[in-house]
Amino acid sequence: MLVVARWTVLEARRRRLLLAGVVLSAAFVALFAVGFTLLYHTQERSLLSAQAQGIGPAGSLDVREELLAMSTILVVLGLYGVQFLAALLGLFLGVASVSPEIDSGALHAVLARPLSRLDYLLGRFLALAGLLSAYVLVMSGALLLTARVVAGYQPGDVTRVVGLMILEVLILLAVSLLGSTVLPTLANGVVMLALFGLAWLGGIIGFIGSIPPGNELMANLGTAVGLLLPADAVWRGASFHALPPSFLVASSLANGQDVGLPFASAAPIAPAMLAWALAYPAACLAMAVAAFRRRDL
Amino acid sequence: MSRRASADPSPRPVSGLRPPPAGSSSAEHEGAIAGTGGSVPAIATSGLRKAFGPRVALHDLTLTVQPGEVFGFLGPNGAGKTTAMKILLGLVRPSGGEARIFGRSPAEPAARRRVGYLPEHFRFQEWATGAELLDFHGRLSGLGAGERAERIPELLERVGLAGRGDERVRRYSKGMTQRLGIALALLHRPDLVLLDEPTSALDPVGRREVRELVRELAAGGVTVFLNSHLLTEVEAVCHRVAIVNQGRVVASGPLDDLAGAVAQLRVLLDRVDRELLALLGRHGQVVRAEGTAVTLAVDTLDVAPDLARQLISAGYRLYGLVPVQQSLEDIFVDLVGEVREG
Repeated sequence: MLVVARWTVLEARRRRLLLAGVVLSAAFVALFAVGFTLLYHTQERSLLSAQAQGIGPAGSLDVREELLAMSTILVVLGLYGVQFLAALLGLFLGVASVSPEIDSGALHAVLARPLSRLDYLLGRFLALAGLLSAYVLVMSGALLLTARVVAGYQPGDVTRVVGLMILEVLILLAVSLLGSTVLPTLANGVVMLALFGLAWLGGIIGFIGSIPPGNELMANLGTAVGLLLPADAVWRGASFHALPPSFLVASSLANGQDVGLPFASAAPIAPAMLAWALAYPAACLAMAVAAFRRRDL
Repeated sequence: MSRRASADPSPRPVSGLRPPPAGSSSAEHEGAIAGTGGSVPAIATSGLRKAFGPRVALHDLTLTVQPGEVFGFLGPNGAGKTTAMKILLGLVRPSGGEARIFGRSPAEPAARRRVGYLPEHFRFQEWATGAELLDFHGRLSGLGAGERAERIPELLERVGLAGRGDERVRRYSKGMTQRLGIALALLHRPDLVLLDEPTSALDPVGRREVRELVRELAAGGVTVFLNSHLLTEVEAVCHRVAIVNQGRVVASGPLDDLAGAVAQLRVLLDRVDRELLALLGRHGQVVRAEGTAVTLAVDTLDVAPDLARQLISAGYRLYGLVPVQQSLEDIFVDLVGEVREG
């Protein structure tokens, strides 16, 4: 299993996946840092000067709260970008994990060795899961660190943000790896992208359903799609922990307008959904092993 | 299709091939899998069957290969050779019957520890270098670091890829890739090597090298199971062969027996007429008549002197009466052709 995992990492290096990942991620983080810093300071200056001239927002928000709200939106959007990139990466890596090797015939020689199909799949999964987790960790870490240094931003729970984002990517990796053992590469890619899009749409529908006065049917529909592929639900759970506690108290959320951001959530993930999301990758892997064991190569 | 005299409509019975002598190790006709007591066969299959949906790739394959044998598995493309080999490696699950390598099911990973395999299409991860691939497969086969360091350069040298190990497989020519595949198959000093069309991408020199390699392996006690439709290759190295067509074994046995099983006489005359064919028919079966030459399948060459006398006394001018040793190719074409026509 470890031999296969090691080989998979070598493959990622050789195919310049690692290099491309590092370069593009660095570009993403750099762009975020520059954008965040510029916006933050511009906004800060304009708010301060407006306040000095007495023409500031008439409402209850003071400058600090205004800046916090803006930082929060930027951080959530940034993390949304990270999870989106990581999710696509997870899907692509999963889709490319098994079926292309079957199609090319490269797997014949490998599986004729004293290597069980279970070990092969677990080795593939472990290596890709490790790469993706490191990716999410570094990217979201760099993003949150930037926000902290520039704006003193404090998310609710960093560990849960990163942990749930990693879980989301592992869900997508596991389901696309399952697809890769039963479907041809292209078909699997299409199915996985459609599923991913569906989960995203389900999240939006659920969000709209939760807007007061609330629409039970839409909320249930969102949950149902979340059960089919809990990726978006897990992201929403992660986004909740990215919000600073003071934001949750201070913003409009506290005023009974339970709206929040459309791509994020103002409520933590339901415990039952979290349990489902944790079981989901394991179940996908188990099904992948069962299907792959029966498959003729 | 081959020209065949209508005088001989019945296909040659396969059982007409000499049965394996009693006490011989060839056990194709035994129903059960040997493997308990005595020497365990390197390969034993019994009633092996594989269907892909409605298409049956393999019917009832029963054969035994003893350790140290070089066994040729012959057949036209699509005859089920590769399917049989994949079942022996656990890559394909049989629909029925049983396969054993060294007495164990190929589905057990540990059973494959002593087996080397060259796949038909010899495609490997193209992003890797030849040496990396050998290293990966060495690890999978449980070779230690020291063994790999010693074995990999040795094998690259042996298959003619010395100095090319650090190039990516993508840059290899087809012939080089096949050589690398042979190195991979032999890497862990297996006791049984399954080669699926091992010379399909090689030039004549490369083919000769592979033949020598197979002979060396056999001399070292390694069992070789060779899939091929290249008959000269098989004739040159194999001890025993099985000919498969449309998923069935149509003939099998030691090579000499197969080739010597049916004697033929080629008769050259001044003319061929109905009386002649009748006369010849009393001595054997007319296989074909081309111009003034008739090929006659006979049970024994001992009929030749009598036949010559009768032909001359019947007024024919006899230009030649030549025994023809059938090549493997003749047997192959006859057997495969018969099934196709049938």
